[in-house]
Amino acid sequence: MLSLVVALGLGAAILAVTGADPLEAYRTMFDASLNGTAAIERTLTYATPLILTGLAAAVSFRMRTYNIGAEGQLFMGAIAASGVALALPADLPTPLILLAVIGAGAVAGAVWAGFAAIPKALLGTDEIITTLMLNFVALAFMNYLIFGSMSFWRDPDRPVPQGKQIPDHAVLPAISGRLHIGFAIAVVLAVVLWLLLRNTTFGFRLRTIGDSHRAATYAGIGVPAATIAVMSISGALAGVAGAIEVSGVTDRLDPKALAIELGYTGIVIAAVARLHPLGVVPVAALLAAITTAGGSMQSIGVQVEVVVLLQGLIFLAVTAGEFFVTNRLELRRPAAAPQASPPTPATAAGGGGS
Amino acid sequence: MNDSVLVLSIASALVAGTPILLAALGEIVTERAGVMNLGVEGMMLVGAVSAFWAGVHTGNLAVALLVGGLAGSLLSLVHAVLAITLRVNQTVSGLSLVIVGSGLSAFIGNVGDSPLLEAPNGVDVDPLLPAALADVPVLGPIVFGHDIVVYLAFAAVAVTGRVLYRTTFGLSLRAVGEDPAAADAAGLPVTRIRYLATAIGGFGAGVGGGYLVLAVLGTWQTGMTAGAGWIAVALVILAGWRPWLALIGAYVFGALRGLGFTLQIAQVDIPSDFLTMIPFVAAYLVVVLVSASPTRARRVAAPAALGEPYRREER
Repeated sequence: MLSLVVALGLGAAILAVTGADPLEAYRTMFDASLNGTAAIERTLTYATPLILTGLAAAVSFRMRTYNIGAEGQLFMGAIAASGVALALPADLPTPLILLAVIGAGAVAGAVWAGFAAIPKALLGTDEIITTLMLNFVALAFMNYLIFGSMSFWRDPDRPVPQGKQIPDHAVLPAISGRLHIGFAIAVVLAVVLWLLLRNTTFGFRLRTIGDSHRAATYAGIGVPAATIAVMSISGALAGVAGAIEVSGVTDRLDPKALAIELGYTGIVIAAVARLHPLGVVPVAALLAAITTAGGSMQSIGVQVEVVVLLQGLIFLAVTAGEFFVTNRLELRRPAAAPQASPPTPATAAGGGGS
Repeated sequence: MNDSVLVLSIASALVAGTPILLAALGEIVTERAGVMNLGVEGMMLVGAVSAFWAGVHTGNLAVALLVGGLAGSLLSLVHAVLAITLRVNQTVSGLSLVIVGSGLSAFIGNVGDSPLLEAPNGVDVDPLLPAALADVPVLGPIVFGHDIVVYLAFAAVAVTGRVLYRTTFGLSLRAVGEDPAAADAAGLPVTRIRYLATAIGGFGAGVGGGYLVLAVLGTWQTGMTAGAGWIAVALVILAGWRPWLALIGAYVFGALRGLGFTLQIAQVDIPSDFLTMIPFVAAYLVVVLVSASPTRARRVAAPAALGEPYRREER
């Protein structure tokens, strides 16, 4: 919490330098993101893809496999999902269509992650670099489909390049106002992932590999297979984020609206949540609240860029704040009972602050 | 002859590769000391916008690049505090740096009454050598026709290589990156060396960003590095943390980034988005192929303590 205050203080200083009234700015931000039903709906809608990319990072980082590619996996998920949404006939039952759309997103995300996972598993190729490079490839590919060609995805009736609108039967139903059912899906997936990590053999293997690669190999855990499995899950989650954005928010394959660093932001969310799946949800909501406030700032003469900056400052402050939490644990450890457990990310429910 | 596609594209590859080279050189120094700073993209952006600002106000290339480098250093110190002193996860800290850097640079570029976004370039980047030399067939444009930064980057490779392998400071730096505990026991100031190495990395990225905006693009655009920083990070691994290999790699990536221009002249019709992909696909393929090679050269070269925070208590 303290780190949040520090970050907001720094933000206030920057706002003051640029000539805006910090208090007024923060009040506007609060009104836009948290005050009232419509504001909360907007915030949670924006939080939805962040929860999913946050989970994508959390699950892979927990095994010390650094999937930095949620960004590109999200794009591929969005491409596949919008393709399926445009192609499926309208007379199929709606649940089946939505399942196919989201499923296509998951598969595409997992396959795209596979381009990094398989070399990693078989050859030990550095996955940070491969996933990153694949992000740029996916971005260029998505741009090509809309801006660079008359593809199936592009709306042929418009002179300005734009994605074809997906039909109504493939749009995610709303929960309340703007908030669509994707938010519920994201929260359910967070719980499922939490149970998967905590209560299953697979989760145990994954955590063991994350804690000690060598011990896991020695214990007969198939590290390559686990790598591919975890990267697939991670990629699928990011792909679902893309599918849900397309079918719940943008209504079309819209590169400008999708390429807003949702994947990279997810990584920092996961870190702030200390890789705990349930912690990812509130952290993503907090970040979303700050971001949705961005548009409102313009009305009082503050650039949107300030919000990005503020977001970065909060990340940095919270990342630094994490140190003080974990370090205090470590300083106490020698004096504690012999069975003192390592600082597992178990108490991250309050991941919003520190 | 000097107008032929091949000559022009080799010449432009050297220019396009120079920002990547500068950033990669800096990152080599940082990583050799055991600090992994993934924030190169962010530092390049902040360096670029600062250099562009200084260029508009002073019109002096040297001052502009220096300001860019210092801005990159300053941002890298944030990573240094987080990763070295506070020992947080370096991957996460580096990524935060990218987010902060892109936000900060976008903000600086679009603030005030006459934002840098619409400003014309304040610096003339002229060829260093007299025009007569640049008119020499083939060699002229490729070797003699560049501005001073291209040559300085070349010199920086030589200096970095020499310092890393032939001086006490270089030995200390590498020792800190390989085995900080042993280095500490030998009396080396591990933390100070790592801070310095991180700042040098930030300087390289900042100058690289500055050169990119002043000489290659000519105007400031939000997010204008477009992945160049990440290419530099990849290049460090591809080059096995060795400066001279980074030089070759940077020029190859420069050529790949300029391929669109070349193919347009040659009238080959490839969608521009695929041209954008080429350097990234190439980096991907090379990383995979290098890891598949039986010698595993890169494994040997990676600093043993890369990305590991050092705790003195654990000696």
